[in-house]
Amino acid sequence: MNPFHEHQLSMTRRQLFGRSALGLGTAAMAQLLPPELLAAGKENLNGGIHHKATAKRVIYLFMSGGPSHHDTWDYKPKMREMFGQDLPEHIRDGQRVTGMTAGQKTHPVCPSKYKFTNHANNEEGAWVSELLPHTGKVVKEMCIVNSTFTEAINHDPAITYIQTGSQVPGRPSLGAWLSYGLGSANEDLPGYIVMHAKTNHPEQSLFNRLWGPGFLDSEHQGVLLRSQGDPVLYLSNPKGVSRADRRAQLDTLAALNESHHQQSLDPESLERIKQHEMAFRMQISVPELMDLSKEGEKTFELYGQEARQAGTFAACCLNARRLAERGVRNIQIFHRGWDAHGSLPREHESQCKDIDQACAGLLTDLKQRGMLDETLVVWGGEFGRTAYCQGKLTKENYGRDHHPRCFTTWMAGGGIKPGITYGKTDDYGYNIANADGTPMFPQPQKDKWTPGTMHIHDRNATILHLLGINHRRLTYRYQGRDFRLTDIHGHVVKDIIA
Amino acid sequence: MIFIPRSIIRSLPLVALLVTTHAEAGKIDFAREVLPILSNKCFVCHGPDTKKKKMLRLDSFEAAIADRGGYHAIDQKNPSDSEIIVRLHDKEDPMPPEDAEKKLTDAEREILSQWVKEGGAYAKHWSFVPPIKGAAAGKKPSEVIDSFVEAKLSAMTDGKVKLAPEADRTTLARRAALVLTGLPPELKLLSSYLADSKPGAFERFVDKLMESPHYGEHQARYWLDAVRYGDTHGLHLDNKRGIYPYRDWVVRAFNRNLPLDQFITWQLAGDLLPNPTLEQEIATGFVRMNPSTAEGGAIPKEFQAKNNFDRTETLGTVLLGMTMTCARCHTHKYDPITQTEYYQLFAFFNSTSESPMDGNKYEYGPVLKVPQDEEAWISHENMQALKTALVEAVKDDLLNQLPEAERKKWKSLSAEKKFSFLADSNGPFAKQELGGQATAAAKKIAALQKAHTPTLVARELPKPRETKILMRGEYDRPMGEALVPAIPAVMGSLAKDAPRNRLGLARWLTSRENPLVSRVLVNRIWQRVYGDAIVRSPEDFGLQGKQPSHPKLLDWLAVELQEKDWDLKHMLRIMVTSKTFRQQSTHRKLPLDDPENFWYARGPSYRLDAEVIRDLALWASDILDPHMGGEGIKPYQPAGLWKALMHPGSNTKNYVADKGSKLYRRSLYVYWKRTSPHPMMILFDAPDRESSCVRRGRTNTSLQSLGLFNETQRIEMSRKLAERLIKTSKDNKARLDHLFTLVACRPPNAAERKACSGLLEKMLKSYADSRDDALALLSTGDAPRDESLSPEEVAAWSQVVVTVLASDIALLLN
Repeated sequence: MNPFHEHQLSMTRRQLFGRSALGLGTAAMAQLLPPELLAAGKENLNGGIHHKATAKRVIYLFMSGGPSHHDTWDYKPKMREMFGQDLPEHIRDGQRVTGMTAGQKTHPVCPSKYKFTNHANNEEGAWVSELLPHTGKVVKEMCIVNSTFTEAINHDPAITYIQTGSQVPGRPSLGAWLSYGLGSANEDLPGYIVMHAKTNHPEQSLFNRLWGPGFLDSEHQGVLLRSQGDPVLYLSNPKGVSRADRRAQLDTLAALNESHHQQSLDPESLERIKQHEMAFRMQISVPELMDLSKEGEKTFELYGQEARQAGTFAACCLNARRLAERGVRNIQIFHRGWDAHGSLPREHESQCKDIDQACAGLLTDLKQRGMLDETLVVWGGEFGRTAYCQGKLTKENYGRDHHPRCFTTWMAGGGIKPGITYGKTDDYGYNIANADGTPMFPQPQKDKWTPGTMHIHDRNATILHLLGINHRRLTYRYQGRDFRLTDIHGHVVKDIIA
Repeated sequence: MIFIPRSIIRSLPLVALLVTTHAEAGKIDFAREVLPILSNKCFVCHGPDTKKKKMLRLDSFEAAIADRGGYHAIDQKNPSDSEIIVRLHDKEDPMPPEDAEKKLTDAEREILSQWVKEGGAYAKHWSFVPPIKGAAAGKKPSEVIDSFVEAKLSAMTDGKVKLAPEADRTTLARRAALVLTGLPPELKLLSSYLADSKPGAFERFVDKLMESPHYGEHQARYWLDAVRYGDTHGLHLDNKRGIYPYRDWVVRAFNRNLPLDQFITWQLAGDLLPNPTLEQEIATGFVRMNPSTAEGGAIPKEFQAKNNFDRTETLGTVLLGMTMTCARCHTHKYDPITQTEYYQLFAFFNSTSESPMDGNKYEYGPVLKVPQDEEAWISHENMQALKTALVEAVKDDLLNQLPEAERKKWKSLSAEKKFSFLADSNGPFAKQELGGQATAAAKKIAALQKAHTPTLVARELPKPRETKILMRGEYDRPMGEALVPAIPAVMGSLAKDAPRNRLGLARWLTSRENPLVSRVLVNRIWQRVYGDAIVRSPEDFGLQGKQPSHPKLLDWLAVELQEKDWDLKHMLRIMVTSKTFRQQSTHRKLPLDDPENFWYARGPSYRLDAEVIRDLALWASDILDPHMGGEGIKPYQPAGLWKALMHPGSNTKNYVADKGSKLYRRSLYVYWKRTSPHPMMILFDAPDRESSCVRRGRTNTSLQSLGLFNETQRIEMSRKLAERLIKTSKDNKARLDHLFTLVACRPPNAAERKACSGLLEKMLKSYADSRDDALALLSTGDAPRDESLSPEEVAAWSQVVVTVLASDIALLLN
């Protein structure tokens, strides 16, 4: 494109922003939007931008690390008979293992010590371990995916991969892409909120990049809702400054910026006045959001009494529902500590206790309020854990290394088929398998998708799809390339969509 | 936070916006009009990475005109019969095909057809052709800049739009000082400039600004973004890394105006220069700047590859303006770079000696121990000079007093060893005065060295590591023969006698034949002066990048940089003293609708960067600590931010804010934890420094408002500035004048005075009957309050100050 054309394009783009910033809204958009988008109308798309969204919002429960699918969702009774035997070579099939167990001489099969119960769903029921008694009771709402997979075998690359579509830092996070695609529907709260839940096992690092904007504008980064200090950074006035004082300050600031604008005619000066006003409103809306005093006892029965304690996973889940009610479309909770290389029972018992009732409570609560249909809830970590034991194996105690080839995640609400289990693994919970149990060894491919499997790119593509976004068309030109969350991969897994 | 998703805007069809201008302009310009379309819409299948042997290639003229069995993509004899034209308009079997992800617009189809009809000539992409300086006889360099800008403006508007009038002196003074030093001008300097009525006053003012040590600090910041400088390793535990002497070296290099060709050479290959100096070795921290890991299960070979991907691609962004990443896995989709060439470039970096895993260590070797801050550097250099002087003072008369053997020995020694010999308290010089002085000097040097600090440097393995192509970029799938380091053919070639190592690479990068480096550099220098660059994709000069708005100007500047010995100060001087820079920045009502100031019909105006916003307030409140260099400083930060993210084994899980003067150093020195940089930096669009950033965003958000009004240091700076105003000036009018002079270099206008006075009155009233509130406000931050002043008055003034500092008066360069 020649510079003049390019200039015209960018100019128009900027004007569109300028105008919308000044509040012209839909009318201005009507003049400037391409006809196919106008014809559909954003409202008719239920908030989506490429097609009608079934989910208006997403609540993403991220289990940082690798929850053991063996001890939670993926029931492998046959492994009990093979306790301690070396994992057959054809099952491992050249899988590269991390530096932590690469040197291990044997890879003894390590069955879960936990009892599994079949909970009724809309198929033949789902087997869930005793570590998740509450969540087991809501499997009717969930689609449990046993065939999630990735290539990354270590935490930093794996979590960066699932959250940004690349193992190497630098790309926008899923949440930032959503913000970029969907905008925000609430004038008084940020559009993308991130919470960090407490854990007894913080042996995991999180990074700003996981909710960061990458090369997108920084307005798309996740805003931390914290349990320590101000819930939103710098929210409260300093000591000795009243709300009336701040009002007076903002009025003065508006006068200063308007005076500047009169001379410079720079529209951004007026835009900044608006942002200051929104901050002023946030100083009311955020404390109101965090104030649980009006929640009835029933709420805490649902989420668990820990929900009264700021920063617990349960409290974060309750906040998530309250955010969803207030129109926030993009909410993510990170719970660290899913990394049981040794003493898995001790660690996972504690981890599961943190989340179990709250997960179930969240789904039940959303359902009761009629919000589950339009709220996508997503649960999962960055990979699974090995079928073989890391370190010393006993019937009562064991550890498991990272495992990328298959792991369990679940989704619920927002257009997901409720009460189903999707995908299957072999008898060792080591490989994604056919219906007859034969390992499939799927690879992520640009043009082909292996039915029954869900690569993390497929998962992200599916999440975007439910929110009314075509993952192939949500792109951003950076360094000459039209980047997207799913890189060149990703297939929407239609089988799990209602 | 309502905003329109940019994705919608991005999907605006071009056709509605394109006006065909080539008709007026005559023949289609292949490089500027056709190639971008081919690259963006056709090369996916018909480009350099075409897999199928028989597939038509449109990235070369020879292929396009070749006989394809009775027809030609471009038919030179009968252009109208060209298959391209046929298929472009074929309803049944169109190109691009119906299901293509990217479709052509009508305007683009028109351009392609017209181009083929005109003969379908090809040309090299502009950025691969070395720049040539157009004629500019008899003009001063700054005038040359203006002539290019004026010519473009005139051509765009049929001569209707001229440059805007020059901004007033106070505006100019502030603008230039912020561009050059990142701070407003010192009041003394400002008043001497305002009083200087002789011709050349502005030029003299600019020279003075560039003599300030703040100049180097400010210019360094942009480079640190580009090279992704951070104080931590970046991955997994994100532990501390010993590298800040590199940051301080960058500051020193700019302050001493080290020519940019040497600046580049030292960083890429300082260790390979003959007898490298300490500084030349520190500079190689550039090579070591990639994020690194020591995660438990990580595989060393994998990170050997990943670290070098990162280096290769960062080199691409920072110096070549090229996106290399595509070619890691396959031949580049758009730019003429093959996968082999990618790994040949990669090979330059693949033979450094550090372990691929950082061991979570501060001293992730190889490291060198070097002076720890600017003061220590000065002492170090003084002692080096003393050493030389002492050795040189040893003359024959002294030597002749020595026994023959000792005399011979002296003559055989290197300068360094001569000094040790001279300083040896048991040696032959021990009783001489010179010997005594040397012994004392050696002692002092040893004492100084104790405080020295390690910094990561690059070292070459004795035997180069073998590099092969990695299939699909996978570290465990090397293929083919071992590669010799080389550069992509489209960019030129290494000199025949050039060593095939980082030094050879550096020589090529800084050679006159290199088409990219000087353009890429001047483009970014322009960007930091005018706010936006000539090529508005400073990270991408490739086929998919933006076209330069002023190509001739860009080329002229690129050659000027080379001809003037890569003198950065010269380049900044000519830009800043141009009429283009000195225009008023008002958005004029013109027959040229240009909100992004693409054509420079007004002076620059933009929101300042995070660091400048903080520094300006520190400076105005007179608490800025001028100490230069040293370990990253930790200003106030809300409690628990790091802890909520970090592994218990990380040594950056606890943020402990500094005490005392360190709190008030320039933001350049703020500790940069890559996985969680300081929130006030991130709030105002600073990058995380995990990957290269050559262009920062400039957003306006409500969270910024909260930061500006509520963050501890903002309050502390405001109350210290309030004290300064009250102490320096007698009445409120004078105080307000003082405040505005500091922040805006001018007194307030009537509207501003009215607004601020109104606020002051309200605040005085508000605090009059609540001393406790006043005292509470004044206890924010560590700096003690001046107890000789009325707390109510200081509190009220603090509220005015924090407001002015949050307004566009302080926040913008204009």
